[in-house]
Amino acid sequence: MSRATTIAVILACVLGLAGCGGGDADGKVTITFWDNNGGPGRTPVFQHLIAEFERAEPDIHVEYVGIPSSSVQQKYDTAIAGGATPDVGGVTTSYLSDLVGQDALAPLDDRLAGSPLRDKLLPSLVDDVRQAGGDHKLYELPSSANLDVIWYRKDWFAQAGLQPPSTWDELLADAARLTDRSANRYGYTVRGGAGSVFQLLSEAYSYSGQPSFFGADGTSTTAAPGNVDLVRRVAALYGKATPAADVNNGYTQMVAEFTGGSVAMMHHNLGSSGDLLKALGPDKVGAIPLPVGPSGKRTVVPNPTDGFAVFKAGEHQDAAWKFVQFLLSKDSNSYWNQQVGQIPANTDVYADAWLRADQPVEMALGVLRAKDTVLATAPFALPRFSPITKADSEPRYQKVLLGTLSANDFLHGLADELTAAERDWRSHKG
Amino acid sequence: MSRARWTPYVLIAPTVLLMAVFVVYPVGSVAYYSLQHYDVTRSWANGFAGLDNFRQMLLHDPLFWQSLGFSARWVVVEVGLQLLLGLGLALIVNETFVGRGLARALVFSPWAVSGVLTTGIWILLYNPSTGVFQQLAAAGIGSPGTSVLGDPATVFPATVVAELWRGVPFFAILLLADLQGIPPDLYEAASVDGATRWQRFRMVTLPHLRDAIVLSTLLRAVWEFNNVDLLYTLTGGGPADQTTTLPLYVARKAVDAHDFGYGSALTTAGFVVLLFFSVLYLRLSKFDRR
Repeated sequence: MSRATTIAVILACVLGLAGCGGGDADGKVTITFWDNNGGPGRTPVFQHLIAEFERAEPDIHVEYVGIPSSSVQQKYDTAIAGGATPDVGGVTTSYLSDLVGQDALAPLDDRLAGSPLRDKLLPSLVDDVRQAGGDHKLYELPSSANLDVIWYRKDWFAQAGLQPPSTWDELLADAARLTDRSANRYGYTVRGGAGSVFQLLSEAYSYSGQPSFFGADGTSTTAAPGNVDLVRRVAALYGKATPAADVNNGYTQMVAEFTGGSVAMMHHNLGSSGDLLKALGPDKVGAIPLPVGPSGKRTVVPNPTDGFAVFKAGEHQDAAWKFVQFLLSKDSNSYWNQQVGQIPANTDVYADAWLRADQPVEMALGVLRAKDTVLATAPFALPRFSPITKADSEPRYQKVLLGTLSANDFLHGLADELTAAERDWRSHKG
Repeated sequence: MSRARWTPYVLIAPTVLLMAVFVVYPVGSVAYYSLQHYDVTRSWANGFAGLDNFRQMLLHDPLFWQSLGFSARWVVVEVGLQLLLGLGLALIVNETFVGRGLARALVFSPWAVSGVLTTGIWILLYNPSTGVFQQLAAAGIGSPGTSVLGDPATVFPATVVAELWRGVPFFAILLLADLQGIPPDLYEAASVDGATRWQRFRMVTLPHLRDAIVLSTLLRAVWEFNNVDLLYTLTGGGPADQTTTLPLYVARKAVDAHDFGYGSALTTAGFVVLLFFSVLYLRLSKFDRR
């Protein structure tokens, strides 16, 4: 055999091997699943569920790929451009419209209509996902809801003879009362670094009771008087009832302050329950909903809804759908949400004993299902929402904390940017 | 004849090719994108921009000027202090004394620590609840909860000290290597002529170190200008843009806000500044004429 022939044979073998990734000789189908937030918290949970699924469906093999949440949107964009998307992908509503805009996802309305899951998923989450896709079709099946909460130190409140706050007035007063600077103890922690402004807006809307981010004509409600009032009052706490380091705080530093015993209250979402409960235990940590403002109305800015999508380019969409259905079935959805401490999307799970014993999740589910709760959903479908609220605004919020920019100017600047972006987008999305 | 004429070109071809792939193409593509509107979040407006990005940058973007000014201050302070301290340490560990080997190892050790670990160490040292300032407060010096990285008045010196810790060994290593190449008879001759210690340093040591100093300050200035890891992890450019260098601003515009056209224009500006500075510096120090 000449050298050229040998090389050709080797190449043919290699290409042949690569080509049979989808359907193996024994009739087994392999599908790829991308976890959009891979890591020590979630990967083992998925691996367990995949093993269960493969036992139930011996003809389907699931290949798990864990991707860090910070780079997952880029990975999807690259995969779409290169034609190498997975069969099933974990997605959240914060970048769903980006994927839908690139025509990468298969609509799931018909499949859901014929599925036993049809009436099982929490309607408000299904609506949320439809809205976030941009064209009201269903491109993502929700698996969990995640709500902002105030984590607080039960033991410190008990020592001080205080009840956990239900209004912002109470929270701000408690923050001052629980502060003892000489003992390096503070009542509250302000998130001033990465991720600050989204959290701040969630606080502002819960205080002002504004029901939506934009008026009908695309004007941002961000600078509503109630919002300005709340930002001013929170900024006034900084450095007095909060550690001075808070101006740079991202998630990690905030959690370190809380678990390290230097702050009494911390605003985050159910996502931190694992870190907090592991460090301090359920006797010392409790969760309450974000307080209400002077109107007394409960307004909630939900976090992006996590779920699963089936990619259009996949060769094995039926197998992919089977896997998604399995992940959202009562047992899997129950196991999953119990492990990660979030609100299950499958309503059959709500009767499970673990959920009723999990105070933060049960409390958040109660808020989400209460009739008088208004959901002020953030405009995740607006492509410039994230750059404006993160890259542009986070340093400016630090100026508010440091006292070199007023809350009023800050929110009006932000509102002007959001209004311009929303109108620009509306006039171009066709 | 023709073979001999082509040989040199064939021999340098691999280098030229590698340079083209790894230098010319990336620089060229950044220059190209700097003339484009290329913003992922406003894809309908993408296309040729002419000089729009540069006009925006030079005339309407105060943060560009602020970050460029901070970069300049950062480079001058860092390189100046690193050179002085590095030279001092090199002179000390060049002397003969008991424990010199250990002293040298200690001087060089920060250089062996990776950038991310360095910032990890300094984040812990500056931690207001557990770090060095909390220890000082417990001993009655300063107040508890002092956050040097959160206070605009102290964030600059705090970051400068952290970067000094990592940067000084570079100068110390380079200058020590050069110090050891100075023939001892020069010092002997100077001593015989009655030169004092200071005169020996000024007349013998410094002229010998000239090239090493020129080259190392230039290299270090470029590195410090482009420094991202330490500031990004220590402060993220904050608080309130107080420590945002030009490269950090580029990262925010291009990576965080997905505006690659404007990010490319900012990068081009940084490239031009460095190019101008390098040529000027080499000319002024007459490095290329020797």
